[in-house]
Amino acid sequence: MAPTATLDASDITEKARRDLLQLLEGVRGKKNLVIEKSLAGPVGLFVKFSTLQEYGVDKVFFLENNNVDSTQRNVIFLARGEKARQVQAIAEQIKRVRRESKQDHEFSIFWVPRRTLVSDQILEETGVLGEVNVAEFQMYFVPLEKTVLSLEMDDAFSDIYLRRDPTAIFLAARALMLLQKSQGLFPRILGKGENAKSLANMLLHMRAEEDIDASSDPSNAHVHSFDLTPSATIDNLIIIDREVDFPTVLLTQLTYEGLIDETFGIQNNQTEVDSSITGAAPSQPPPQQTSGANSQAPAVQPPAPSALKRKILLDSTDKLYTQLRDANFAIVGTLLSRVARRLQSDYDSRHKANQSINELREFVNKLPSYQAEQASLKIHISLADELKKVTNGDLFLRVLEVQQNLAAGADPSTVHEIIEELIARDCSLTTVLRLLCLESCVSGGLRQRDLEHFKRQVLQGYGYQHLLTFAALEKIGLLIPRVSAGAGAYLNPLANPSGAATVTDYNLVRKSLKLFVDDVNESEPNDIAYVFSGYAPLSVRLVQCILQKPYLAQLTNPRTAPAANSQPSTATASGNWKGFEDVLARIKGPTVDEVQKGHNAAASQARKTLQGSGGGQVKTSIVFFLGGVTFAEIAALRYIDGQLGEKRRLIVATTSMIKGDTAVGAGMEGRSFKMR
Amino acid sequence: MSKPTADWEKVGDRFYRKTQLYTDVFDQDLELENHVIAGAPYSGAVALYRDEDKLHAYRGTQTAKPTIDIYSCAGKLIRSLNIDKGIVKALGWSEDETLLVITTDGTVRCYHNLQNDFTPFTLGHSAEEHGVRACRFWLSGFVALLNNNALIAVTRYDEPRPKLLATPPSGDVASWAIIPPAYTLSRSVEVLLATGKTIYVVDASECEDRMLENGPFKHIAVSPNGNFIALYTDDSRVWVISSDFQNRLSEYNSRVKTPPKDMQWCGNNAVVLAWEDEVHMVGPNGAASKYFYDSWVHLIADTDGIRIITNDVCEFLQKVPDASEETFRLGSTSPASVLLDAVDLLEKKSPKADDNIQLIRPNLDEAVDTCVKAAGQEYSIHWQKQLLKAASYGKSVLDLFNSDDFVDMCETLRVLNAVRFYEIGLPLSYEQYMRLTPERLIQRLVNRQEYLLALKVSDFLRLPLNKIYVHWARQKVRSANADEESICKDIVHRLDGKRGISFEEIARAAYDEGRSKLAIELLDNEPRAGKQVPLLLSVGEESLALDKAVESGDTDLVFYVLLHLKKKLTLANFFRTINSRPMATALVEASAAYGDRELLKDLYYQDDRRLDGSNLLLTEALKQSDSQHRNDKLKVAAKLLQDSREHTFQVKAIDETQRLFRIQEVFEKDLGESFVGLSVNETIYKLIKSGNIKRSQKVQSEFKVAEKTYWWIRLRALISRRDWRELEEMSKTRKSPIGWEPFFNEILGAGNAKLASLYIPKCTNLTVPERIEMWIKCGLITKGAEEALKAKDMSSLEMLKNKATGNAVHEIERMIAQLAPSRR
Repeated sequence: MAPTATLDASDITEKARRDLLQLLEGVRGKKNLVIEKSLAGPVGLFVKFSTLQEYGVDKVFFLENNNVDSTQRNVIFLARGEKARQVQAIAEQIKRVRRESKQDHEFSIFWVPRRTLVSDQILEETGVLGEVNVAEFQMYFVPLEKTVLSLEMDDAFSDIYLRRDPTAIFLAARALMLLQKSQGLFPRILGKGENAKSLANMLLHMRAEEDIDASSDPSNAHVHSFDLTPSATIDNLIIIDREVDFPTVLLTQLTYEGLIDETFGIQNNQTEVDSSITGAAPSQPPPQQTSGANSQAPAVQPPAPSALKRKILLDSTDKLYTQLRDANFAIVGTLLSRVARRLQSDYDSRHKANQSINELREFVNKLPSYQAEQASLKIHISLADELKKVTNGDLFLRVLEVQQNLAAGADPSTVHEIIEELIARDCSLTTVLRLLCLESCVSGGLRQRDLEHFKRQVLQGYGYQHLLTFAALEKIGLLIPRVSAGAGAYLNPLANPSGAATVTDYNLVRKSLKLFVDDVNESEPNDIAYVFSGYAPLSVRLVQCILQKPYLAQLTNPRTAPAANSQPSTATASGNWKGFEDVLARIKGPTVDEVQKGHNAAASQARKTLQGSGGGQVKTSIVFFLGGVTFAEIAALRYIDGQLGEKRRLIVATTSMIKGDTAVGAGMEGRSFKMR
Repeated sequence: MSKPTADWEKVGDRFYRKTQLYTDVFDQDLELENHVIAGAPYSGAVALYRDEDKLHAYRGTQTAKPTIDIYSCAGKLIRSLNIDKGIVKALGWSEDETLLVITTDGTVRCYHNLQNDFTPFTLGHSAEEHGVRACRFWLSGFVALLNNNALIAVTRYDEPRPKLLATPPSGDVASWAIIPPAYTLSRSVEVLLATGKTIYVVDASECEDRMLENGPFKHIAVSPNGNFIALYTDDSRVWVISSDFQNRLSEYNSRVKTPPKDMQWCGNNAVVLAWEDEVHMVGPNGAASKYFYDSWVHLIADTDGIRIITNDVCEFLQKVPDASEETFRLGSTSPASVLLDAVDLLEKKSPKADDNIQLIRPNLDEAVDTCVKAAGQEYSIHWQKQLLKAASYGKSVLDLFNSDDFVDMCETLRVLNAVRFYEIGLPLSYEQYMRLTPERLIQRLVNRQEYLLALKVSDFLRLPLNKIYVHWARQKVRSANADEESICKDIVHRLDGKRGISFEEIARAAYDEGRSKLAIELLDNEPRAGKQVPLLLSVGEESLALDKAVESGDTDLVFYVLLHLKKKLTLANFFRTINSRPMATALVEASAAYGDRELLKDLYYQDDRRLDGSNLLLTEALKQSDSQHRNDKLKVAAKLLQDSREHTFQVKAIDETQRLFRIQEVFEKDLGESFVGLSVNETIYKLIKSGNIKRSQKVQSEFKVAEKTYWWIRLRALISRRDWRELEEMSKTRKSPIGWEPFFNEILGAGNAKLASLYIPKCTNLTVPERIEMWIKCGLITKGAEEALKAKDMSSLEMLKNKATGNAVHEIERMIAQLAPSRR
């Protein structure tokens, strides 16, 4: 992706780092840091533990463990202030430390990303507000990659869909607003889904308010910094509400990165695997791979002595991984052996006869990078081996069979037998629920009889506490009874009166957007469908509706292809939904299309001229996934980014990373009736 | 025009100048000697308060009430503040012209923006107990000295947090001073206490004796940049030392018996001593100059100089800035001075002007710069003009010159001259203006209600105007006597179409004045929903506040309103309020789920959400550790749903749960192992595993577990207990509802290839190659070959041949041979 001066992820990282360290510096002397667990990972992405130590942090505690001691006079809390629970926990710990400790303590709380009224109120009621220094640490987006920004709000999915708590949407709007402040207004906001609509509305609202806020805020003396002119570099913002496309999350991701996430889990660009798989981390970390793993991880857990688990950093600093991550797992083996052979031949070249001293020196200079690559190759080979074991397993194949059938639109009743078998074989409940939810999502709910049948099976197989699981899944809208047409607004009391569809008609959408590609080529991808070996994620197809109109038109209707080709201008026109209105009407949730213009037309024009006439400009589209995005979708979007060429780049933003287990897990009842 | 050097005076090797800013400052009746005086930084307002310790003539009852009077530097009364409670111990200003009044009992009142209303806070218990003795201020905080020598520091006024500093030794404090946090090594405020013969340095954590022996020191003053300390000794000497107490820099003997009443720094390089009507200025190396006045003198130190105020005059004493010295000094031959001369000649139409230019040609750009800078330092408009003319002349000769500085200076001087006008009374120096920033200057103008000038200056400097409008509107709301409707109409009309007006602020002003109705009316014009919320709550419009909070989308605000509502309303009313607002309900549910279960129960009951209510009971049942309680909860959960038809499944499931518990409890009693908590399938599995087949079948029939499921469980259980005998037995069964392939797979997976192979022939529904594959997996190549032979599959045979070793190879070759001829 072409480097540009605009919207640079490293700027965001740098700012977050600077802000945090500045806050830490503001507290004099040594200090103990108490951090909320879910913040530890994201913070570790941009600050190393050693840096924290340089800034006087002595020990780090997790807020959830409630074990901060009184060894230091200064105690700092770093937590999200949106939920009353968190605030109460902090208040209690402050009280506890004060009670138990003999010396005086200086408490500071840094709220992420903002100080809330509720937190103040609770602290006041518990009587600690007067004695703590409260500050804000405005961390919104955390870049996971140059083109992937995440808010890293792990609870976003369950908050939005299960509890219908729109905090995450509001914070997302804030975060996007900050982007607009630095980059200019998004000229066009597109989106699909109920929550996408409210996010877009919030953005429009905030823009109107910003005008006044900026000028009444005493610290912001220069209103002119935010001129409310449309950005010259960002073309549009595309908001995809996760609710619009649950099936993509529920399917097993088949890219390398996706499979690692499904199997081992990836948290903040790191995966944790048994050290028996990859071998223990070498004690001396010369290659980048391990140094990354060592220095990033302990940001919060000072030198983890755990010998059983090893953390592996998975990001673009690892060149080999960059090649592998988005590939379909089917070809990862081939790719790996190709690299292995190349490395071997490179390495062997040292035996070449009559080398000059210069050549030798060159070789020696390259040695460290060879070693790094070799180390990384070793890790990925063992990872791939381990994944292979999983994918060759009987259960995995069974599950995949069900998924492919459902995705391809086969009659759901054909797969019921397999699902029953999986339950009888005590296959993990998340897997079973993913399949059931998938069926419900693609066929507009399960028939009442089938639903009750499966509910019984699950209750008997996994325990009756899962009555609660089913209630939650129904609330989220993942597993619902089918309702005969006509009774529209059954599910969502917030159902919009605009007449948009409340259930996606998958059979129709599958055809008109070609969600299933039979002749998919995994080694030489020719369509995004390669990430699921056949199924093309609806969410990404929606993005294509905006950015790749001719391609999609040709794909779905080959006969009109020439016509589409004859009008290439549509491809470059500022994105909109044009041409796909009919399909969109059949997809759940309202469609968003807002144009943002500057107050001052002349200023916008001037800015445009200053930036050059748009010809040589790289246009950026931001795709925001509200409620989470999967690695497979990111892979598909990267593929599209490659197709779009140098003139346009995609940036993926999201509330958090997600996979099927997390989605289903949001509703799952964790407790059982076991006696304690 | 008088020479600019007329008021210069040489002290040592430096020049100092005393600029007369205003005359006839105070009414002659005002007894300055009986007043405490404090001046805001950057030539801000001056606060006067009658010193209670001094005797004064009785003046009848109307003046008996103590007031703090705020004047401009030109002596114009801006405001009079009534002090009804407490004895004022200290007056001070912060950087943003907030007046701080501290009374003996430790109450601090912050008067923002020169207004009558204040926000109070207290210094805490110890201050109340011992009483405040004095305070020292810096730009953003102050330190209070209590009567017991304890020190309390406040470092910010928006969220004041009084902090006790380290305890200094007891003893009489002769004098004291502070070093602002910005200038100390520890980055926290340091206090210098002159006690006995020495000085103690006190900061947040420790109190250090500096081991001086020449005390007691009558006065201590710290230079504006925190680098130097001036001490006034008992034997009437002034010492200047570095602030680390390492170097003594200069000494001066005042030879005056009475100690001065005040000692302050003038900039960073001179110390000013003031007696009643006499002022000594001590420059570097002990050089000094004396000034005499007709009346009582007050000193107000500023960053770059010092203001001297008497009843008659307000003067500014400062070191002559370098640029001015270079330009105006007698006999100066600097390029700037030559350039200034040149413009003079030019005005006289003398050809020598050009000679001058040619003379300094190589340094002309430097000369222009200096002239521009010097213009900024002049108070006389005549000389400003002259210097700018010189600069303009000089730059016209230059080919390439960046005029930005020149243009900026012209703009700045226009502004400075406007605010220096005696009716405004802000005699800002150029440096002070740079530190104050234009935005805060506008704020000061607005505070003085000079709206027209503020608008003009803002417009001139291209600054936003909205704050000025808002301030105007608030003032109008406070002072206007007209009826509320017309005030509102007037304000809305005047502010119509102006960008960025915060009606919330105006409404708040109305509310603070007690005009709630007007506040609500004004609030209606506020476009930001979120901003309306707190005020709406204050005026008691709760449900409107909730609507606005929901509209803003900010969940924090919604929560805030909800907390408020819950405290204020009865539960039923609370539910009724949130009922029609789904987002509010969702938030109440989400937060209550972690804490307030009773509330949740009531909510579900009120809304008749039976399924949710029943589920809530289920979660409670999950938490119970006692079986009796758990069953009770389950019963209630089922009962809740009993009446409705749509929940029959749920009810049945809950019944089954209880039934399962009963059976499991029986098993536990019989078998002495734990069962409760297991699912139906897990129970069957465990029973089979421990060999209780009968019981497992009972569970199967009781819960109508499907045959297929049962077989799978049985298979898995048998494998896990390695019951090969039973499995072999089963291979003799005729039919299996799950087919035989799972048996093969599972047994093979458990490592018993021999037993697994028994099942291969039974897998009749599989294809030949699949079965061959199965034989291979068991390592029985020959068997596979037989299978292939039967199916006459030549290619498979070849494949098998390659895999085979030893005897089997021959065997297969035989079979190939056997098959081959038949092919021919």
